[in-house]
Amino acid sequence: MLTFDSHSPEQTEEIAKEFAKKLLPGDVVAFTGGMGAGKTAFTRGLAEGLQVSGEVASPTFALVNEYPGRPGRPSLYHFDMYRITSSDDLYTTGFFDYLDEGGILAVEWSENIANDLPDNTITVDIAVTGENDRHITIKGGGRF
Amino acid sequence: MNILAIDSSAKAASAAIVCEKAVLAEFNLNVKLTHSQTLMPMCKQVLACAEFDWEDIDGIAVSKGPGSFTGLRIGVAAAKGIAFARSLPCVGVSTLRALAYNLLGFEGVACAVMDARRGQVYNGMFSLHGGNLTRLCSDRAISVAELKQELSPMKVPVFLVGDGADLCYHEMQDLSFVRQAPVHSVNARAASVGLAALPAFITGQTVSAKELMPTYLRLPQAERERLERQQQEHKDNA
Repeated sequence: MLTFDSHSPEQTEEIAKEFAKKLLPGDVVAFTGGMGAGKTAFTRGLAEGLQVSGEVASPTFALVNEYPGRPGRPSLYHFDMYRITSSDDLYTTGFFDYLDEGGILAVEWSENIANDLPDNTITVDIAVTGENDRHITIKGGGRF
Repeated sequence: MNILAIDSSAKAASAAIVCEKAVLAEFNLNVKLTHSQTLMPMCKQVLACAEFDWEDIDGIAVSKGPGSFTGLRIGVAAAKGIAFARSLPCVGVSTLRALAYNLLGFEGVACAVMDARRGQVYNGMFSLHGGNLTRLCSDRAISVAELKQELSPMKVPVFLVGDGADLCYHEMQDLSFVRQAPVHSVNARAASVGLAALPAFITGQTVSAKELMPTYLRLPQAERERLERQQQEHKDNA
């Protein structure tokens, strides 16, 4: 288990950027933690660390945003499951197809698809401990 | 009669031209490239290499499911697009039945299995005898454990075919009559889709581009969730 304390969105991004170096193709990173906890900031850090292209934006509307990796490096697929409430919904996002792409999946509101997450999912919990303070706990994937 | 057949129901993509007497041309790709970028060039190339024009094609056959959501939509959309442009008749073939066609000429049972995750497979069973194929059950989603139980009393050779073959074989190694399809026949092939569709083209049991639709199979847990939701809504409305 890894734990971090962040005191600003910038620091959350920096923590994520460092953490990204430990990720392997096919990893699923599932976020828990409410609105405004900093899931998108964390994902922005992941994108920087993985050196994928494109500006990270919230996938709330599109359900999934794709950030292509450099040649030979994994891409980042950023999901928001806020509106996904059943396995049928999930199937129609192509989530299961993305799992086979050899990229890295970052999943916001992963609580909604808890039953469909792969066994080796890495969970990132971001707890709000103050106005700008966050306690980040990373577990799972057989390595954290 | 020349049929252009396509399959992108799982990780492999395939395009073929078949007629009543032969498989005239076939391209297969199994290199994890995106179907949306490979399937149409494959169709174009398979025609070009065979020196066929679009006028030489009399119908479009496609794997209509079950399978990967993205893959099925790409395959069926490609088939619809081509058929609509040229007003060609279409036949959508069960992916599982097409997989069983890979084993035409074998004797025994073709057990077509596609990985549906969490220990479940999409499955169809077909008897193989005298160069013919007979369906034994409807396409369904079933757990590997349940499938194993069903297969246990069988006395004839059972051949696992499809991208779930490895997964099932691993769980069924103690059943001596269960075998894996040869490696070159384990994935979906457009030639099999075309051959499975031919009788329907010959007897005119075709649909238009507009009527052609993918068939998704709902997994048991999705069905359970749906019922729970309906019951909850019923309660909320009461």
